[in-house]
Amino acid sequence: MVYDVDEQRKQPALHHGEVLVLRGGILMGANTLPSQFEGFADARKQGFLAVKKLKDEGKKVAGTFCTYTPAEVILAAGAVPVGICAFSDETIAEAEKVLPRNLCPLIKSSYGFALTEKCPYMYFADLIVGETTCDGKKKMYELLSEIKNVHIMQLPQTQDDETAKELWYKEVLLLKERIEKEFGVTITDDGIKNAIKIKNEERGLLKEFYELSKSCPPPITGAEQLKVLYGSQFKFDMEAKNRELRATIDKVREEYENGVENVSKNAKRILITGCPLAGVTEKIVTAIEGSGGVVVAYENCIGIKPAERLVDENEEPYKAIADRYLQIGCSVMTPDNNRYALLSGLVKEFKVDGVVEMTLQACHTYAVETAQIRKLLQKEDIPFISVETDYSASDTAQLKTRLAAFIEMLP
Amino acid sequence: MIHLVGIDSGSTMCKTVLFDGTSIVDTHVVKTGWNPRDSASESLEVLLQRNSLPHNEICVSATGYGREAIDFADCAFTEITCHAFGGMFLTPGIQGVIDIGGQDSKVIQIQNGRVANFLMNDKCAAGTGRFLSMACDTLGVSLDDIDKFADLYDAIPVNSMCTVFAESEIIGLLAMQKDRPQIMTGVLRSIAQKILQMTSKINFIQKTPLLMTGGLSKSMALIRAISQTIGIDVITHEHALFAGAVGACICAQKKCLGTGDGTK
Repeated sequence: MVYDVDEQRKQPALHHGEVLVLRGGILMGANTLPSQFEGFADARKQGFLAVKKLKDEGKKVAGTFCTYTPAEVILAAGAVPVGICAFSDETIAEAEKVLPRNLCPLIKSSYGFALTEKCPYMYFADLIVGETTCDGKKKMYELLSEIKNVHIMQLPQTQDDETAKELWYKEVLLLKERIEKEFGVTITDDGIKNAIKIKNEERGLLKEFYELSKSCPPPITGAEQLKVLYGSQFKFDMEAKNRELRATIDKVREEYENGVENVSKNAKRILITGCPLAGVTEKIVTAIEGSGGVVVAYENCIGIKPAERLVDENEEPYKAIADRYLQIGCSVMTPDNNRYALLSGLVKEFKVDGVVEMTLQACHTYAVETAQIRKLLQKEDIPFISVETDYSASDTAQLKTRLAAFIEMLP
Repeated sequence: MIHLVGIDSGSTMCKTVLFDGTSIVDTHVVKTGWNPRDSASESLEVLLQRNSLPHNEICVSATGYGREAIDFADCAFTEITCHAFGGMFLTPGIQGVIDIGGQDSKVIQIQNGRVANFLMNDKCAAGTGRFLSMACDTLGVSLDDIDKFADLYDAIPVNSMCTVFAESEIIGLLAMQKDRPQIMTGVLRSIAQKILQMTSKINFIQKTPLLMTGGLSKSMALIRAISQTIGIDVITHEHALFAGAVGACICAQKKCLGTGDGTK
């Protein structure tokens, strides 16, 4: 069953934990999806029921914000990690009673959902794990910790430095201790190794899935790809999720090989980079795919970044986890060489015609880094446009004009 | 030869052009009004009747913010692409286009006959036609009389970029009995400053001209202010108002009548 936000609002007297869709915004056109994506599109919406069920069974839930949170440590404790970055403007007004207006909408929205208790995942979370990533987030976490149980990891802002690696390793161990204490469990060596294995398996499957779009034309649209990448966060039985990913990949591949053409071969191949994109900011994808383009790759937090690197299964587990997570490219890092390296590889591998960067309003680190990305792509001879947006719908027409003009100018 | 009609449905004016494939045959301009589809279809009728052309012998191409509403068009393109191609048609050899519209302003760079880069100001009214029209209202000058009215030599700076605050600033200057023609020139320079913010982000060369299009392209005083501020020659053309509409015809010629398909 598919709801949208308006539909949800009509529902009478929703109880905590029954409001799920309100957090993530709109899942558009889900009823026209090919069957293989429905399971993922529904996952976010059904997620609250799943979380409630898990809670009733006595499971612990840990809310996470960034791709830097080592999910393996949470999984190894028998707990459930769930992403609680918000992608809807619905609670921003509430958040602005405390937070400044000129702040990233993701931070305002997420904090607003905690304040209003409208997000079931935030509501059910026994612990929220945050990292010292950008200035806005880390200061918001201070306020969040007044109303929720928050654990902050000190994330170094550079990646090659030995002391930075050492600090992050210690932070991973501290997280383990905190989780053991909070959840009253002991994480065994086998437990953490199994968690690493199953997370790596998931990463491999996600990679295999998004790499399907390396084909020309891609077998699926960018909107469809995003549904799976985003929805997969809200499937909590790891083994079942991996089986479903496998089935989805096989089905897409089979249809493609049988000659089903989902996307025009003339569609311009676009890679999206920049701030986290989901929910309301899918308006970027809609504008691109309504103007003769197709999104083939997402170099974002929901997309390639969390799946690209594996945790070394032959190393000491916590060291391996720390090493892997610290190397994720993000504009909070200085220098952000891993993002540049990943991007220049992806534009070739996915035979990209143009790169669209989305920055969220008041995201200083990404907005400043735009100049570096522009230089990098100039060197690669790939057309580039950067657009700034927020969680409102007010710029839909302007985004459409900009992105359509960008696609028209591609050779 | 099939005729083309280009419709540039802007936020303020709807500009239409009848094009025979090589030159402009006729032009028409009306207020866009509240319904962009109506003003576009009325304009189309005017052009067809005036030139005794039947509906089935034309290809209609739409651009401008109202393009999505013009459902009878055969194809549609963004105003960025259309202004570039229209600009190249009117004044070959330009390196780009400055278009000041009613609700946005844009700077487009052209290289090797294509759009190479573009910047748009569509987040606020600063540096748009709306800004100038507010200033003219406050100063009690008609938009058509700017050139006669503005002081050629002296300007009183208008520092507020925000249209609302600029209005307060102008009212303040008037209360101090400052010279109106000099305030007018200050307003024009303020628009030029806003254009400079965009042109300075694009690697333009000094010697090759930029074409100014849009409704304000008939004000030589504004063109002079922009040219002096950005340090690049700015030229205009008698049909500069119709650059977008002509460009729509040229894009349609390439796409709808050619091999590919037009995209809305």
